[in-house]
Amino acid sequence: MNYMPGTASLIEDIDKKHLVLLRDGRTLIGFLRSIDQFANLVLHQTVERIHVGKKYGDIPRGIFVVRGENVVLLGEIDLEKESDTPLQQVSIEEILEEQRVEQQTRLEAEKLKVQALKDRGLSLPRADTLDEY
Amino acid sequence: MFRYESLEDCPLDEDEDAFQGLGEEDEEIDQFNDDTFGSGAVDDDWQEAHERLAELEEKLPAAVNEQTGNGERDEMDLLGDHEENLAERLSKMVIENELEDPAIMTAVQTRPVLQPQPGSLNSSIWDGSEVLRRIRGPLLAQEMPAVSVLEYALPQRTPQAPEDDRDLSERALPRRSTSPVIGSPPVRAVPIGTPPKQMAVPSFNQQILCPKPVHVRPPMPPRYPAPYGERMSPNQLCSVPNSSLLGHPFPPSVPPVLSPLQRAQLLGGAQLQPGRMSPSQFARVPGFVGSPLAAAMNPKLLQGRVGQMLPPAPGFRAFFSAPPPATPPPPQQHPPGPGPHLQNLRSQAPMFRPDTTHLHPQHRRLLHQRQQQNRNQHRNLNGAGDRGSHRSSHHDHLRKDPYANLMLQREKDWVSKIQMMQLQSTDPYLDDFYYQNYFEKLEKLSAAEEVQGDGPKKERTKLITPQVAKLEHTYKPVQFEGSLGKLTVSSVNNPRKMIDAVVTSRSEDDETKEKQVRDKRRKTLVIIEKTYSLLLDVEDYERRYLLSLEEERPALMEERKHKICSMYDNLRGKLPGQERPSDDHFVQIMCIRKGKRMVARILPFLSTEQAADILMTTARSLPFLIKKDAQDEVLPCLLSPFSLLVYHLPSVTVTSLLQQLMNLPQSAAAPAPSNPHLTAVLQNKFGLSLLLVVLSRGEDLQSSDPAAESTQNNQWTEVMFTATQELLRIPQAALAKPLSIPTNLVSLFSRYVDRQKLNLLETKLQLVQGIR
Repeated sequence: MNYMPGTASLIEDIDKKHLVLLRDGRTLIGFLRSIDQFANLVLHQTVERIHVGKKYGDIPRGIFVVRGENVVLLGEIDLEKESDTPLQQVSIEEILEEQRVEQQTRLEAEKLKVQALKDRGLSLPRADTLDEY
Repeated sequence: MFRYESLEDCPLDEDEDAFQGLGEEDEEIDQFNDDTFGSGAVDDDWQEAHERLAELEEKLPAAVNEQTGNGERDEMDLLGDHEENLAERLSKMVIENELEDPAIMTAVQTRPVLQPQPGSLNSSIWDGSEVLRRIRGPLLAQEMPAVSVLEYALPQRTPQAPEDDRDLSERALPRRSTSPVIGSPPVRAVPIGTPPKQMAVPSFNQQILCPKPVHVRPPMPPRYPAPYGERMSPNQLCSVPNSSLLGHPFPPSVPPVLSPLQRAQLLGGAQLQPGRMSPSQFARVPGFVGSPLAAAMNPKLLQGRVGQMLPPAPGFRAFFSAPPPATPPPPQQHPPGPGPHLQNLRSQAPMFRPDTTHLHPQHRRLLHQRQQQNRNQHRNLNGAGDRGSHRSSHHDHLRKDPYANLMLQREKDWVSKIQMMQLQSTDPYLDDFYYQNYFEKLEKLSAAEEVQGDGPKKERTKLITPQVAKLEHTYKPVQFEGSLGKLTVSSVNNPRKMIDAVVTSRSEDDETKEKQVRDKRRKTLVIIEKTYSLLLDVEDYERRYLLSLEEERPALMEERKHKICSMYDNLRGKLPGQERPSDDHFVQIMCIRKGKRMVARILPFLSTEQAADILMTTARSLPFLIKKDAQDEVLPCLLSPFSLLVYHLPSVTVTSLLQQLMNLPQSAAAPAPSNPHLTAVLQNKFGLSLLLVVLSRGEDLQSSDPAAESTQNNQWTEVMFTATQELLRIPQAALAKPLSIPTNLVSLFSRYVDRQKLNLLETKLQLVQGIR
């Protein structure tokens, strides 16, 4: 039964499996057990899923209580289609390793870029020192 | 840790004990844990006590079918030396249970307990409460009838028929609410954050610690949870204020010596444990597993709901009397039992919570309907109803999901209510403009469709937001009684000046050019914003007019006029001298995209003179504007209001307008070799279109009014001649493609040029329909 037609409410999503994307970039998958008016979430049997390329790894986390303001988006997972993915699941260690490698390559590329700019006398402005209009 | 000797001591007593034990110690150490530093550590070895307990419980599984005598004795041992009160109570308790079922009592102790971490407080708390529970459970139900639901995150339920359908919101609110208007989640007797009763079943532990990503069914094969809807969450079980056992065998004089925490733990402990199953489950599970669970359930049942108690109990007994039953009774047998009782209950229970009265009546109706629908739904599910594959698979999951419905219906309603309250608005059109508009449009569409087609009316559920009357609140500052003089309290309505900030306007000299430009642009932006607000208000007047009363209407009109004037002043720049000093102000506005759009929207509201003035200014500065518009390309939006305006202009104005547009020299003296103004105009879509519109209008005037004043005519003819000359000069390639080409231009030009040139003009301006 639609609690509030024409609005978005999490009440109908309770007890269903959800994928939650957080502001810090983490992806959580768990059963939504409880909500409140701030969209704070209680996730049950939560798993943190790390994606690197075509692989992913799951870290079981248990129960999560997420403060609403940190949620970017969340969506229900269709349990029937859940396994229907081209991605390959790997072990936790492997995915963490992959993530570390990816992070490293990104940092190195960034460093090269900054160095190249410096050589040319330019500098990328830092976000916190940007002038206002 | 609770020492069993002093079970019934309240914490105060314990402190005394500590004092005695630590007489000579420092004051500091007195605050330390009695068990670590005090007599507890010296006299009592909790590890030993625990081992005793553990041994006990290992023994008991083997003794399931033993008589209660054993259980009694064990229990006595557990408690160690206790006071007589306790003994009395115990014996009474045992007697009470004996009435129900001897096997149950022993079975309760069968529950294996998690190995406690050394030194942890939790284990002992829970251990203690286990024992206490059996004593205190029914007591507490009687003693604290008004305490609301104790929340426990226990997954299991008892097979208490579709009680969870019955909306707990229909119960009276808990005494203490956090908000005066809406209900709050029930008061927690257990402090928030206390872990739930430990999971007894090891398999469950594993599940918790390492859950698999997909939903894992509890790995107990014989587990058949009751169908969805039959099961009541543990929370709900506890919430029954009135128990059929109020006529309690225990004398009410038994002093409640426990602290609220202990009490809560007891009640919590008296809750179902995960190892319990519904009778339907139990029915299929032979002997050992079944009885402890049922036994554990029974004290729960003792506290259970009105009307629900008795039917299941005999059912239980039936199960017990034939353990293990060869053919397990199907789970569906269960609901018919408590069904009629529940029906009675429901009809008696008040349908609406008192605090829902503040909801819109239609919303309340919706809520009620929803509740009924839910009940119907669940009733259907209890039977063999199949409501479609998707639904059934979903309910399938819910059925097998032992953690479902942790969030009570009441809590869902609470959240829902808060969300509805947030939608309350005194002026929904103002606060929620897009939503309102969208739904109006939808409704109009559906109404239109309905009129056309005779299909069945699609019931579109509409959110009915609570309507709140606008209340005038006058702020009255806080006054203190008995104070000398008036004390000022700074609040949001009465702010106090905190910082002595002085506004200094910058002098023009010491600023750089860039800053000046920037400031000017900023000022223009501010003016645009202000004028836009005025515009929105003015556009809204129509609606307000319709909604207003007769008396208010003249005032509304006045306001509207006033606002239109202000808009115009803003556009043209205030402080008009005899003549508008400069177009600069207006041009600045027109350089900004939003400004152009705004002017297009304002034009219909202006009087003809004012609008003509605007148009002239635009024409004068058109090349400049065209240059500035290169990136935005918003000028064409002005074409339609300008066209509308032009068709109302008198001849004189049109003539001068044309002159301005083409920057034709006033006198027909030697024409300039090049006319960059005109070139620019012609090369721009908007410019060319506007020019054509003006020409067309001129033609209209000429053709429609042959007896017009000769001076005007002459002027027009002169201008036309010059215009045609200019047009002929311009190479075709430079021309833009106009937005629309008026049809009467051919006849226009035919007056002033001969055939040859006419053809030229035609091709150049693509005036003939065929050429595109």
